[in-house]
Amino acid sequence: MQLRNRAAYGFLAPYLLIFAAFWIWPIISSFLMSFQNTRVNPWVFSFGANWGRLFNDPAFYNALKNTMIILIIQVPVMITLATIMAVLLNSPLLKARGLFRFAFFAPVVVGEVAYAAVFRLMFNLDFGIINKLLNGIGIASISWFAEAPAAMALLIIAVTWRWAGYNAIIILAGLQSIPGDVYEAATLDRVSKIRQFIYITLPLLKPIILFCVILSIIGSMQLFTEPFLITNRGGPGGGTETLGLFLYRQGFTSLNFGYASAIAYTMAALAILISLLNLWVGRDEK
Amino acid sequence: MAELSLKNVIKRFGSYEIIRNASLDVADGEFVVFVGPSGCGKSTLLRMIAGLEHITDGEIHIGNKLVNDIEPADRGIAMVFQSYALYPHMTVEENLAFGLRMTGNPKADTDRRVQRVADILQIKELMQRRPKQLSGGQRQRVAIGRAIVREPQVFLFDEPLSNLDAELRVQMRVEISRLHKELGTTMIYVTHDQTEAMTLADKIVVLRGGNIEQIGAPLDLYDNPANQFVAGFVGSPKMNFMSTEIVAADSASVTIALLNQGKVHLTLPIKNPPPAIGERVTLGVRPEHFVKAGHGDADLTITVDVAEHLGNTSYIYANVAGGEQLIIEREESRTELKTDTLTVAIKSSHALLFDSAGNRLR
Repeated sequence: MQLRNRAAYGFLAPYLLIFAAFWIWPIISSFLMSFQNTRVNPWVFSFGANWGRLFNDPAFYNALKNTMIILIIQVPVMITLATIMAVLLNSPLLKARGLFRFAFFAPVVVGEVAYAAVFRLMFNLDFGIINKLLNGIGIASISWFAEAPAAMALLIIAVTWRWAGYNAIIILAGLQSIPGDVYEAATLDRVSKIRQFIYITLPLLKPIILFCVILSIIGSMQLFTEPFLITNRGGPGGGTETLGLFLYRQGFTSLNFGYASAIAYTMAALAILISLLNLWVGRDEK
Repeated sequence: MAELSLKNVIKRFGSYEIIRNASLDVADGEFVVFVGPSGCGKSTLLRMIAGLEHITDGEIHIGNKLVNDIEPADRGIAMVFQSYALYPHMTVEENLAFGLRMTGNPKADTDRRVQRVADILQIKELMQRRPKQLSGGQRQRVAIGRAIVREPQVFLFDEPLSNLDAELRVQMRVEISRLHKELGTTMIYVTHDQTEAMTLADKIVVLRGGNIEQIGAPLDLYDNPANQFVAGFVGSPKMNFMSTEIVAADSASVTIALLNQGKVHLTLPIKNPPPAIGERVTLGVRPEHFVKAGHGDADLTITVDVAEHLGNTSYIYANVAGGEQLIIEREESRTELKTDTLTVAIKSSHALLFDSAGNRLR
C-alpha cells in the first residue's frame, strides 16, 4: 500500500469502523439470527423455528396481503398524481411557483406524530371534517378506524398526501431537463399538447418515473409509521397490519429477534424482486 | 414554395422594443440570410415568422396569406433549430416520420417522403440510430431532414451550423447551398457569421439592435454598405476605419487629414452636401484596397506590427502603436517582418467616408 493511500485510509478509518459496527455487522448478525430459535435461552440454531414458521403463519400472510394492497393501489395513484402535480408546477401560466413548490414538499418536513394526530382528528367518526364533508354531499359517516377497508383507504390517503409532493418535485426536475425546443419542434410538427405529453414528455420522463416507483415500492414495503400511529397499531384487528408493523411486533413486543430477522430479510428480498421486475418491465428495448 | 413579406413588424417585451418596424420582401425560392451581432433580434424575427413568438404589431404574409393569427403548424413553414431539437427517445426514422404520423398522413406517403429525405441527405444507414448515437454533423442532417419531410413552403434555419466544428461547418454550408438549388424552396437563414451570410445568401438582411440596417445582395453590401456598421460587419478581415478631419471642401469633393496616420491628406469626391471644415469624419478602406506606393491618391507610411503570411496572400497588421490598427492585404509579398516600415497608398475611388453618426458621405 502506498504511503499516500495509507494516510487516506487512516482518515477514513473512524467512519469505516462505525460503518462496520452499525451497518455491516447487523446485516450479518441478523442473517445468522434468522436461523436461530431466539425464544429459548441460550439461543439455538434451528432452521424451521423462523423460516419454517414464516411460510405457515397466517399473521405473516395477512401483513403481506395488506402491504401488497397498499403497494398496488397507492404507488400508481401517487405517481400519477405526482406527475400531474409536476406538470402543473412546470406550467408557465402558474403564478407564485415557489410557494406551490414549498407547499407540495412541506408534508415531508412535517413531523410524523403531528401529521398522524391531524389525520386522526380529520377522520374522526363523530366530529372529523371528512365525515362532515361527506354528510354535506349526502354520504353517511364512515367509521374510518373501525372497518378494515375504510382504515386501509385512510392509510392510502395519508401516505399519498405525505409523499406525492416529494415525488412531484423529483419529476419536476426531470421535466425541466427536457429542452423547450423539442416541444417547439413538435408544435411545428402539428402535434397537439396532449399528444406531446404522451409521445414526448412521458417517454423522456420514464427513467425518473421508474426511479420514483422503485423508491415508493421500497417505502411501501417498510410502511410502519402510518399504521402504527394513525390506524392504532394496525387496527382494526390486524386489518391494516403491514410487514413493517408485523416485524416490529415480533421483534420489539414479543422480543423474538430471530423471527423478526427472517421477516426483515423477506421484506428486503420482496422489495428487490419487485424493483427488478419494474426495471425489467421499464427497460429500454435498445 | 411561397414568397414572404413583413410589413412594419414590431416586437416588444414590456416597454423594450426587440424588433423595430421591420419590413422585408422575400421572393419565391429566394435564400435570405439574417445576419447581425448577438442580441440584434435576428432569431426573434425568425421565430416570429415561425409563429413561435407573437408579434406586437405589423403583418406577416406567407404566400400572400396574412399569418399573424395562424398557428405555427399551419403556416407552411419548417424550422431547423440551433440545438437540432431532435426527439431523443426516437430513432432517426421515427424523428423524420413523427410529425406526419401524428397528423394521420397515409403510411405509404410518409414512408415515401422519409425515403426521399434519406436519399437526399445520405442518411440511409443511420435510420435505426438514436440521436445520441450520431455525431454533430449527422444530427444536423437529421434535423434538416425533419424539415424537408414536411415539404414546407418556407424553410427557417436558426443558426444551424453554430454547434459544428469549422471544417464541418464549411461542408454543411455547401450542402445547404446544394439543397437550396435542389429543392428551390424559399429559405430564411439566421447566422452571426458574415462568411456564412456572404456564401449562402441571394439576399442579406443586416440587423443591429432590432433595426434592419440594410437589405441587399451579398456583393452589393460589400461594395456599397449603407453605413459604417454594415461596412464593418460585412467582409473579413474587417474594413479599416481611420479618424480624419475635414480640411477643405467644395460642392464636389472634400480633403481630409488622417489624424492617427501622420496627418496625410486625401481628396475624395462626394455626393452628399459636404460637412463643415474641422468636422471629424471616418475614412473606410478595405484591407485589399491598399495599393503600391505611388499608385494611389495618398501615400501612407506604416510600421508593421504583425505579418501573417498565409501563402496565397499576406495580412499586415500595422500601426497599432498609433492607437488605430490597420489591416492590409498584400498578395505579392511574403517577406515583411515585424517592425519593418512600408509605404502603401489609398485610392480615393476605393475609399468610403462616414459622418460621426456612421452614415455614408460617399
